[in-house]
This record gives sequence, C-alpha cells and structure tokens, in this order.
Amino acid sequence: MKRIPLLVMMGILILGLVGGLSVSSVAKDTIVVAVGAPPQTMNPHGSDSDCNLGVVANIFEGLLQRDTSGTLLPALATSWERVNELTWQFHLRQGVKFHNGNDFTWEDVKYTMERLRIPYPVSEFLAFGGLIVSVETVEGNPWIIDIVTTTPTSYFDQNLHQVFIMDKESTESRSIGEIGQYPIGTGAYKFVEWIKGSYLKLEANEDYWDGPPSVKYAELRPVTEPSTRVAAIATGEVDVLQDIPVELFDTVAKNANLEVVTRPARRSIWLGLRNEPGFPTSDIRVRKAIYMAINEDEIIEKVMFGHAFPCAQIPDPPTVGYDASIERLPYDPEMAKQLLAEAGYPDGFKIKFTGPNDRYVRDEQIAQALASQLAKVGIEVELDTKPKAVYFPEMDEHGLDFYLLGWFDGSYDFGRSFTKLLHSVDAEAGFGGLNGSSYKSIALDRLLEASAEIVDPALRGEALRLLNKVAMQEKIAIIPLHYQEDSYAIYKGRGISFTPRSDTWIVFKEMSIEK
Amino acid sequence: MSLFLMFAYIVRRIAQSFIVLLAVSLICFAIFQFMGDPVLTLAGRYATQAQQDLVRKTLGLDRPFYTQYFSFIANAIRGDFGLSYVTQVPVLRLIFERLPASIELAITAMFLSLFLGITLGVVSSLKPHSLGSRVIMTGSLFGISLPTFLVGILLILVLGVSLRALPPFGRGRVIKVIGNWRTGFLTIDGLRHLILPALTLGMYQLAVLLRLTRGGMLEALQEDYTRTAWAKGLSQRIVMFKHALRNVLIPVVTIAGLQMGELIAFSIVTESIFQWPGSGNLLLTSIYETDHPVIVAYVMITALIVLTINIFIDILYGILNPKISYD
Repeated sequence: MKRIPLLVMMGILILGLVGGLSVSSVAKDTIVVAVGAPPQTMNPHGSDSDCNLGVVANIFEGLLQRDTSGTLLPALATSWERVNELTWQFHLRQGVKFHNGNDFTWEDVKYTMERLRIPYPVSEFLAFGGLIVSVETVEGNPWIIDIVTTTPTSYFDQNLHQVFIMDKESTESRSIGEIGQYPIGTGAYKFVEWIKGSYLKLEANEDYWDGPPSVKYAELRPVTEPSTRVAAIATGEVDVLQDIPVELFDTVAKNANLEVVTRPARRSIWLGLRNEPGFPTSDIRVRKAIYMAINEDEIIEKVMFGHAFPCAQIPDPPTVGYDASIERLPYDPEMAKQLLAEAGYPDGFKIKFTGPNDRYVRDEQIAQALASQLAKVGIEVELDTKPKAVYFPEMDEHGLDFYLLGWFDGSYDFGRSFTKLLHSVDAEAGFGGLNGSSYKSIALDRLLEASAEIVDPALRGEALRLLNKVAMQEKIAIIPLHYQEDSYAIYKGRGISFTPRSDTWIVFKEMSIEK
Repeated sequence: MSLFLMFAYIVRRIAQSFIVLLAVSLICFAIFQFMGDPVLTLAGRYATQAQQDLVRKTLGLDRPFYTQYFSFIANAIRGDFGLSYVTQVPVLRLIFERLPASIELAITAMFLSLFLGITLGVVSSLKPHSLGSRVIMTGSLFGISLPTFLVGILLILVLGVSLRALPPFGRGRVIKVIGNWRTGFLTIDGLRHLILPALTLGMYQLAVLLRLTRGGMLEALQEDYTRTAWAKGLSQRIVMFKHALRNVLIPVVTIAGLQMGELIAFSIVTESIFQWPGSGNLLLTSIYETDHPVIVAYVMITALIVLTINIFIDILYGILNPKISYD
C-alpha cells in the first residue's frame, strides 16, 4: 500500500505545476521584448550589426542619436556643426555620469574614437575609426571639441548615433572579455544580467540626463525558432515581438490578443549580375531581359505572403541618394524573349545562381521562384543556395555570376554603400569588398569618386541621386527585387506603447506602460 | 584476480578513449576548413584586406593546419581550450556556465522517461490486448518515429498556446546555488518551465523504455518462476513488481544509463526550440558566429561525457552481472 500515495502525490504535484500559477500577471513594471536575432557581445564596438547595436543602444549613447523615424538628434553632444571640410565641432553635454559613477568628459570621446581603430577583437568600426585624425578641445574648453578627419567625409555626423562612447577609466582597466560581458555606459538603462542567446536584463538609470525612463525593468529575449517566437507572444510571455515569421503571419494577425504593426524595412533584396566581357550578362539587353522576366508581384504574393514591397533601387527613402523617380522595368516576358533574341540568345542560356539560404526572409524560396520564372524565357538557372557562413566568404572572392544580396546602409549614405557593393574591386583601397561578381563600370566609378569630393551636402545628395539613377536605369547594375517588411506584434490590454524604429533597434526608453 | 583484470580493463578503456578523443578533435579541425572563414565575420563588414589579414594573424589562423592542430592539442591537454573568438572569455568557462541548464534538463528528461516508460510498460503488459494497451503502444510508435523538433512544436502548440497549461519557452526563475550553478529545480516557475522541454527531449527514450519494459514483462510473466509465484497465491502486486519487474529492470536501466550521455550531448534541437539557455544552445549560437574554439571544446567535452558514462556502465554491468568477464 505504499505505492498509491506516491502516485497520488506525483499526480497532485504535476497538476499543481500545470494548473496553478498560470495566472502570474503581477503589477507591470517590466517590459519584455522577444527578438529574432540574439546580440553577440556587449562590447559596443565589437559588432556593427543592427541586432547588436540596437540592443547596446540602451546602455550606451553616441554623441548623437536618432529618433524612431531616423532623424538625427543631440545626445552626448548638445549641438554640432561642420566647421570646415575636415573639421566637425561638438558641444558636449555637461553633468552626465557613467553607470559606475565616473563623469563623462571629452577624454572619453577621444578615447572612444581612438578605440575604434583597434582591430579585432576590439572594434568592427575600423574604416570609420581610420577616418579620424584627432580629437581636441577648442581653446582649452573641455566641453567643446573638434574632430578632424583624414578626408572630407560628408556622412561623418550621420554615423555618430552608432558610435557609442565608452568610459575611458573602466575600459582601460578591464579585459576585453570583461568589457564584452559587463557593459558600463551613460544610457537610459543599466546592465543587470546577460545570458548570451537567452536573455538580457536591464534596469532604469535613475540618474539619466534626460530623466529616468518610464519603464523600470526591461528584458530582451532572443527567440530564434519561428514557431516558438509566435508561441511566446501568443501566450503573453513577452509583451512585444519583433519579426513575425511570414509563414505564421496570419495566425498572429488573427489572434484577438495581439496587435500587429508593420512598416517597410530598410533592407532591400536585389540581384547582382556579372558584366565581364564574354558573359551573356555583360550585354545590357540580356540584363534588361532578366529584369523583365522576373515577376516581382508574384514573388511578393506567393513567396513573401504579401509581406514585402517592390523596390526599384538599393537605398530606402531616408538614405541620401534615394531617388523617388526611379521606376522598375515592367514585367514583360515577351519583351524579355525579344531582347534575348536580339542579343543573340534566342534559345536562352545557362547561368549559375548563388545565394544564401539562411540569411534573409525566404531567401531560398525567392531563388527557386526566380529560377522557374527565368525558365519561361529560356534561361536555365542552376541553383546553388547555401548557408550564409559558406556563401559570404565565396562572395568575397568576387567570382559569382548571378547572386542575391540584401542591403541597407547604417549610416544612411548611398555613396558609402555603392563603394562597397558596386565600385570595381580594389582590395588596396577597400573598394568593392562586397561586389560579388566583380561588376565594373568605369563611368559609375568616376561618378562616385566625383561625388566624394563634394562638401556641400545638398549638392552631394544630387550627385548620389544621379549616380543611383544611371546605375539602376541605364546600366542595370543590379536587379532590385523588394524591400522586406519589419513586423511587430504587441500584446494588447497591458497598456504598452511601442513605436517601431526605422532602424529596427529596440530602444526601451521610447516605450512606456500605462498604469 | 578479478580486481586486477578489472583494473587492466579500465586502463585499456581509458587509453581507447584518448584515441577516440584525438580522432574527434582531428575531425572537428578538418571540418572547420570547410565551414566558412571566421575572419570574415569577426573583422566586420567594412574591413579591408589588410585588416582581415591582421585579424587572421592575431588568431593564429595564418599558420598551417597541422601547426594549429598541434598547438591546440598541446593546450587542450593542459585543460586550456583557448578564448572564444567572439566573447574573448575562456571557452571552458563559457561552457561550464551553460552546462548546469543542460544537465538539469537531461536529468528531468531521464526521470520522466524512466518513470513514465516503466509505468506505462508495466500497465500495457498486464492486459496486452486491451484497448488501453493498444493506445499506449500506438502512442509509443509516435514517440519513436516523430522527430524531436516536431514533438517540441506540437507540445508548444497544444500545451503552451492552446491550453495555456505550461510556459512555451525559456527556463523561468532560477536560483544561484554555488558559483555559476543556477538551478530551476527550486522554484515553481522553474519546474513549470522544465516540463515541456524535458518531455520533448525524453520522448524517444520514453517510447524505447516503454517497449523494452513491456517486452521484458510479457516474457517474464510466462517464466516458470512467475508461474510459481502465482501458484503460491501471491498478490498481483508482489508478482508483478517483486518477481517480474525486477528482472526486467536490468536491461532497462542499462539502456537508460547509456542514453543519459546522449541526452546531455544531443539536446541541441530541444534547446533551440525552447530557447533553453543550455550548452546545446551555446553550440548553435557559436556555429552561427563561426566561433570555432567553442565548437571544438563543446564537441570534445560531449565526447568525454559519453565515453565516461560508457566506461562506468560497463564496469557497473560487470558488478551487477558476475557472468561478464573483463578480458
């Protein structure tokens, strides 16, 4: 008669665990956000990916910051101006303290700017750090500084929202491993605990210069598995979810407890094509034919489940160089066939397509759709899709014929993007690093180089727009597909106010909970 | 005599294990040659060729393959697996921080599968042709054939989302015990979070143990000693548990023990579905970040755990069953 009580007790225990305590809604002073990609490191210069920057932005601050729509605003600098071609002047904010109690001074700025130049494992902002010649006070006033750059850099200030200022004293005295685990910044939130790949806990900085943030505790939970991510928000375990998986979008949208917010993403998905003489795709008619044979509306509807927006160029509207007048070539398979015949390929040709299968939303499925659409005009596509860890190194060898890439520019400058993506490859100068097919157009290279020398921002914008238009319409330098969609789900009835940012950063000080 | 033989056996097994570990490490290293270049991810999107070369040099990846391998082995023997590329923290510290979560998950999975597997196995052997037994056996077929990720997703959907009975992911509230050992065993929230992932992880095990128990029981119930026990007029409980089940348990416990190592080592899928902060999750993150030192160390430690458990089981088996000799 001993075993029955044991079984009964087990049963009670299990029932208790399952049934009881499911109602655990306490007074809300914590906001929990689930994201798709986990941050890599708490070293604010250690990774330049947005899933990292967008998280450490809660703990650290730059001289400048951006609001939800992408407008540049003061942060640790109260005002700034470009004094001459090479010099930028900043008035620093006084009375700001780091989380460890140290005062924020101009020396921290100088230290940070120098730190950007130290390669792995310290900084991924090497190129930007390399631009900086000196950081000095103006006439001995420690609250006004001049930053001098090596070359005229019109986008210098545009990048400062993601260059986070570190405390000189505590950074110098600690190992890089320590710094990457226990961050000390000036931001609205203090670091509490981080279990990589699992959660990051933050606590409001009561001494924040802009007043303490409205939500006391903040928690970020990366959930990489799509169905678990949906379960997390459906059960209300998290308050806000970033990146609703497109395949489960309707399930989330139908859920009465959830509010769905979407906006066009900054990232565009596009195709690169080799133009080396001798390749079919070096003929502009063939490039146009491929463009016109692609039915982007069908891709958006069938592959992306409607969650993407057609694009006609690489940059998104807030980027300098975006030109609203650029239009997509129409979908016209008949015209495509005719162009191919004119170019001497009446029966089409074979081409190898290389792309990632784990990097962008539905990347592999997009490639499959492309292959079947191009087959209709006689172009036989040999698909070669692979994990990003294998794909990107291949891309770095610049030997691909036809490939897929997603892109947006963190510094909102198309000139910088173009240098990286489509300028002819020049390893010495650091040009064309992500030009996967060694695309080369002397005309476009010249246009880009000319734009780099223009100091006046308005004129430069004009030059970049021209460059963009020539590249997209005359040269068909790339074939644009679509902008992805940023999507968020918010659990209703908890009084959470949340506005998605154009840069997808999760900035807790912008959120609030209605009591 | 047997003590000496046993000692010789253990020494031989340990020597064999070293060879296995060496082979594992060599395979790991060879695979990395095809797994993507960590320098590209580590140096950053905007790095020039010269900067990438510098990073390569810092990491010692410019050296020939065999030099890298031998220096790794030399350090590993001293217990130094190097620093993680991404976090710059000693790899072992990183893994040992995460191991408790994986071990707790594995123990719970083990416990659930042993308890449920044996109970259901016994129940279904009592009246093997009844409806209940048939349902249990069909269910166990699903447990054996369904892949872990599907089991996990189904459990999340049904128990987590539809019924709202259990939390669908994460580890819940944990309490620090000693050093880096945090446990979820001591809070109700932690226990609630354990159930679904442990069930997912242990599902296959459960089905195997259930079938093993049932098979053994059906056989044992036909044996002469059981019949004798019935004939003596002993109660059903005594016959079932004291006579039949005891004999059935030997192979069941052996299999369970052998699989314990696998539960710790191969919890990767379960951990990623439930966002469990264990070492499997760490491995997956490290693969995404091409953090090779963490991957090698994880694989080596896993191999070590499996090998150790196997040796122990072999020894225990010999002690339990004197018919087995160690030559």
